Amino acid sequence: MKLSTQNLLGIRNLNPEDIQLILSTAQQFKDVLQRPVKKVPSLRDVTIVNLFYENSTRTRMSFELAEKRLSADTLNFAVSNSSTSKGETLLDTVNNILSMKVDMVVMRHSASGAPHFLAKHIPAAIINAGDGINEHPTQALLDAFSILEKKKKLKGLKVAIIGDILHSRVALSNIYLLTKMGAEVMVAGPPTLIPKYIKEALGVHVTYHVSEALAWCDVANVLRIQLERQNQPLFSSLREYNLVYGIKKDMVDKLKKEIIIMHPGPINRGVEIDSDVADGPHSIILNQVENGVAIRMAVLYLLANREN
Amino acid sequence: MTILLKNVKIVDSQSTSNGFIKDILIENGIIKKINKNIQNPSGKTEMIDLKSYSVSPGWVDIFSHFCDPGYEQNETLETGSKAAIHGGYTRVFALPETNPVTDKKTAVEYQVEKAKNLPIFIHPLGAVSKKLEGTELAEMYDMHKSGAIAFTDGYKPLQSTALLIKGLEYIKAINANMIQLPIDKSIAKAGLMHEGIISTRLGLPGIPAMAEKLIIQRDLELLAYTESKLHISGISTAESISLIKKAKKSGLRISCSVTPYHLFFCDEDLQDYDTNLKLSPPLRSRSDMVALRKAVLSGDIDCIATHHQPHDWDEKTKEFEYAKTGMIGLQSCFAVINTLFPTLENQGLVALFSLNARKLFNLPPATIEEGTEAELTIFNRDLKNDFSPASNASKSANSAFFHKELNGKVKGIFAKNKLSIFK
Repeated sequence: MKLSTQNLLGIRNLNPEDIQLILSTAQQFKDVLQRPVKKVPSLRDVTIVNLFYENSTRTRMSFELAEKRLSADTLNFAVSNSSTSKGETLLDTVNNILSMKVDMVVMRHSASGAPHFLAKHIPAAIINAGDGINEHPTQALLDAFSILEKKKKLKGLKVAIIGDILHSRVALSNIYLLTKMGAEVMVAGPPTLIPKYIKEALGVHVTYHVSEALAWCDVANVLRIQLERQNQPLFSSLREYNLVYGIKKDMVDKLKKEIIIMHPGPINRGVEIDSDVADGPHSIILNQVENGVAIRMAVLYLLANREN
Repeated sequence: MTILLKNVKIVDSQSTSNGFIKDILIENGIIKKINKNIQNPSGKTEMIDLKSYSVSPGWVDIFSHFCDPGYEQNETLETGSKAAIHGGYTRVFALPETNPVTDKKTAVEYQVEKAKNLPIFIHPLGAVSKKLEGTELAEMYDMHKSGAIAFTDGYKPLQSTALLIKGLEYIKAINANMIQLPIDKSIAKAGLMHEGIISTRLGLPGIPAMAEKLIIQRDLELLAYTESKLHISGISTAESISLIKKAKKSGLRISCSVTPYHLFFCDEDLQDYDTNLKLSPPLRSRSDMVALRKAVLSGDIDCIATHHQPHDWDEKTKEFEYAKTGMIGLQSCFAVINTLFPTLENQGLVALFSLNARKLFNLPPATIEEGTEAELTIFNRDLKNDFSPASNASKSANSAFFHKELNGKVKGIFAKNKLSIFK
């Protein structure tokens, strides 16, 4: 089986079969990762650049590890945000790297649509590791994979996404993926952090009350408050945010059902989620991180073989 | 120089020959004779057969950026004129967003002086505020005396209510018009496209339609208070039309124009993050686009303004967020409008391209009548247009109209006693 696309720009461009293929391929890689020898030769002689125009620890390490487990050669390139405006253009940077015989580009960028722009101008396969407030497709894939492990299905499942929906590429990718796979999605957060047209645009439920979201859902995906993306005041204080929208232990205990709690990291403990929930029995946050490597191996593997 | 235009259909509601196919004899820039079958008076006369073509008073664009001086890598007065001629324009208003800014007599004089030898009339638009900073009034009287046709802060429309009141009052002494782009920058500053379903799906920060409504409402209030003259260029929403329509009815001296791109495209065309469609005001929803089209046909729009805004390759070939806003428009405007409105009568078309702007900005009517100075645009509404990077005359190539199927061709213009004609 092959993916219907040459790049992974976003979940928006995938069909359910693509998503299914990535998830099932990831399962195979996850099995590999349980063995004593975790390395496979699949991408031997493939060179991949990790181009990070925005800070990242987890995603960059996860990609790098996935590349190494597949025996690819990796190249890391981190550019501070400000240098993009005064220095070399994105296209020049990438073309320079490609002329050194690099096969694939993993890119994180602060501008929405940056990987789409690149895909129009360069021949190499591009994997979006997060673009602006648009998408973070591998995060949504690993979230789906983690949900599947616990709940065994996506279709008909109720998933609440709680927090800063407006600035979150994780939210958008998750909404695309979950609705494409037949799950129901509700977003919850303060009105200033929820896009005005989200209901009509994406077919999700909206609530401003976190208790309503928790009572409704099977899965709660709690998002990080993206202080760095806000260019105007969208809520009063972190203290008030935590008081009203933070996920606390008593809220979860009150629910008479088994829900799972997720977070894409890095966590602002005591802001969007309290420590006893993040580290508690419902949390699968560390499983998400573990599954990230398998998902990224699957994506890299499927796109590297795209022309064969 | 004597020129004889043969068998051309005259489209000019002000002319007694309106609607007739006649010959036009031009001597030293003056229309000498209009009649059927004018015989070639001398061997030196240049004779051009214009069978199947129409001729109207020369077209006027009121909002173009010629980037000269300061940004000559994008356009110069010379290359801008070339694009204008290819688009059928005999007069173009040039925006003050040059470097230095056109906010003083000397800057106006530079353009006036340089334009003297060019085949079209270029009218500098003076800045309303010094350096386009929106804080202090520029020397508008002095600029007006030197040839500034009207005043605008271009793509940085005045945000300060206090300064706009003063600006509108100030220009009453010279009976000038002010041009405002309708956008509230405090709401729009973080946005990259129209806020709506599409922006939500594309993960691009939005500019609500309200950013336009609020500024138009405010500007109309100030216009009523100051009893001055205001033109709003580049309206992009359905609500703007009704606001302006109502203001016109109440007797305010308000007029408006719309761009070809707001009539042709909408936010749905941005699915691919095409930077040529990054525009200000942004492309709005489909229903806005449809409302604007209706307003063109109902006569609620006074002019088509090209908003010709050249950017070189580097400024557009980058991430959507970092790309500059704007599109070139002079050369393709007529074909776009003609394609969108095949039922629009010739008179209506010429009103939108020429006569209304001439009235609003106190320009000569360029009536096609014996004894008047000839200023003409020659066009055909049925011929296919082949706008492409190869035929593009602007120095920049930031257009989303290349290779679109468009009808309508400009054959040439006559202005300043010079005929510019294309094969």
